[in-house]
Amino acid sequence: MKAWARLMQVCGGLSAAIIGIVVVLVCWDVAARNLGGMSLPWIVEVTEYSLPLATFLAAPWLMFRYEHVRLDLLATTLSPRTLAHVERVAAAVCLLVSAVIVWYAIAVIVDTRSIGAQVIKSLVFPEWWLFVPVPICFTLLGLECARRLFFPPPPTLPMTADTAAVPGDAAGSAR
Amino acid sequence: MMPWWETLALLFGILTVLLLVGLPAGFAFLGINLVGALIYLGGEAGLMQVVRNGVASITNFSLTPIPFFVLMGEVLFHTGVAMKAIDAFDNLIWRMPGRLAVIAVVAGTVFSAISGSTVATTALLGSLLLPEMLKRGYQRRMAMGPIMAIGGVDMLIPPSALTVLLGSLAGISISGLLVAGVVPGILLATIFVGYIVIRCVLDPTLAPSFEHNRVTGWARWRPLIVYVAPLLFIFVVVVVSMTAGWATPTESAAVGAAATVLVAFAYRALTFRALARALLGTAAISGIILFIIIGATTFSQILSFSGATNGLVSLIQGASLSQWVVLLGMMGILLVLGCFVDQVSMMLITLPFFMPLVAHYGWDPLWFGVMFLICMQLGLLTPPFGMLLFTMRGVAPKSIATQDIFRAVMPYVLFGMLMLLMVMLFPPLATWLPKLLLGK
Repeated sequence: MKAWARLMQVCGGLSAAIIGIVVVLVCWDVAARNLGGMSLPWIVEVTEYSLPLATFLAAPWLMFRYEHVRLDLLATTLSPRTLAHVERVAAAVCLLVSAVIVWYAIAVIVDTRSIGAQVIKSLVFPEWWLFVPVPICFTLLGLECARRLFFPPPPTLPMTADTAAVPGDAAGSAR
Repeated sequence: MMPWWETLALLFGILTVLLLVGLPAGFAFLGINLVGALIYLGGEAGLMQVVRNGVASITNFSLTPIPFFVLMGEVLFHTGVAMKAIDAFDNLIWRMPGRLAVIAVVAGTVFSAISGSTVATTALLGSLLLPEMLKRGYQRRMAMGPIMAIGGVDMLIPPSALTVLLGSLAGISISGLLVAGVVPGILLATIFVGYIVIRCVLDPTLAPSFEHNRVTGWARWRPLIVYVAPLLFIFVVVVVSMTAGWATPTESAAVGAAATVLVAFAYRALTFRALARALLGTAAISGIILFIIIGATTFSQILSFSGATNGLVSLIQGASLSQWVVLLGMMGILLVLGCFVDQVSMMLITLPFFMPLVAHYGWDPLWFGVMFLICMQLGLLTPPFGMLLFTMRGVAPKSIATQDIFRAVMPYVLFGMLMLLMVMLFPPLATWLPKLLLGK
């Protein structure tokens, strides 16, 4: 469990680092273009690709921390025991969704690789690279859902208004 | 093939069930996409398209301002720079009735101009000002209401992450939409201040006055110049670089984020730990928003391929309704949705239907966009699912009942509705400034 928590924190940390690096790169590009320095045409593209990468890295970390946005209508009305059952149903559905997406993401990677599709912009690289984070992200999400399904946490914590976390404060408690 | 209304009922029925059992919104949209892809997008090929669309939905340069705008707010929040600005306002208006509540609105409006994160603004003001107000004997509702309300105004005043998202998903000019929210945002903040002052004059027990170090002359104005002017400079950098064409909205957002870090550094408030926490907070908020967007493209494709979009839009167009009835209906749907689902889901659910109607009736997209923003802002404040209510719950003392938090925000929700009506009846409130600055 400790290793799992550590892995999730690493995912969050990498996502944060990507955002920091992209800020520096874009500022460099704006300064270079307006002040006559060496502008790097691939920065716009790298910025574009960094967004899915940061998102797919952050998603399992946020799932682990119960921070994804969800409706809490039932949470405030059901008894803790019934709520725990509903939570397990939700975890099972998420696990199923994750498994299907992992399966078809691998299919997309195999398919794109077999036809040799390339992304040709400022940077040239095989298109299947773009899809690699998807099965990794959803495998981690699926494992987290499986953990909740088979080893559910105490039923009171995640969903009630009284225990709702401040999303931006993830940083504070993720240290 | 099912008739369009059956398709619509099926898709939204499953979506509602998935949301009700507590699936994260992103998973709920992905789940409905998988079902929809199986039925309407050609089975296995459609399921592979879900993956391709998921990556394509967030590989989008126009969405990249989102983490940058959020980072600006997170840096202010975690470095403590904002606290100094609040002190500066405190010196300035020490004689005003309901001073701390007014400061929440004024400082909140200034932070809105630097922070792209509504949640960060509310969490910041809540954690700084709420304990102080409660300690000074402010009535709970008078203490909490303005803080939550101004978090909602944050969405109207640029930079705003959700405005970027709305512009991107609806195909409305992002820079135009960012600028269009300024006048309604400032007007709304002014109405809030007026309301607080009038209520506190009529009933001084709501916000008892207390001794304050009386400062006069330069000592009174100096903190404003030292601690607030540089923050406004960041706002100017973002808006001017965007409107002058020196940088795209994405680039100006990155420049704004870097400028915020530099300002924190200049105040000697920047530590490695604070920066790391700000970046982690940014990754969290951006991740929450963008994870829902993964399902955006496929969801709108399914609605379109199944004939649901066309069916519903044609039905409305053919019903010979007055455009005002249609507009009021759209706003009504947004207000109801806002009580139950988050802002990103609101956009995904409604925009595929709303934007064809906007084009059909020839409405100014900026005007419509600002009204959409106001409705989303109200969604942040309306129980039971208003995100800012939860944010306040997170920072308020446990002794305050959640019902109290709900009641505290109600007057400000009414003012938000009033502003919606004003923009509806006087479109220049939204369109004048973009025309002046951008020619749009």
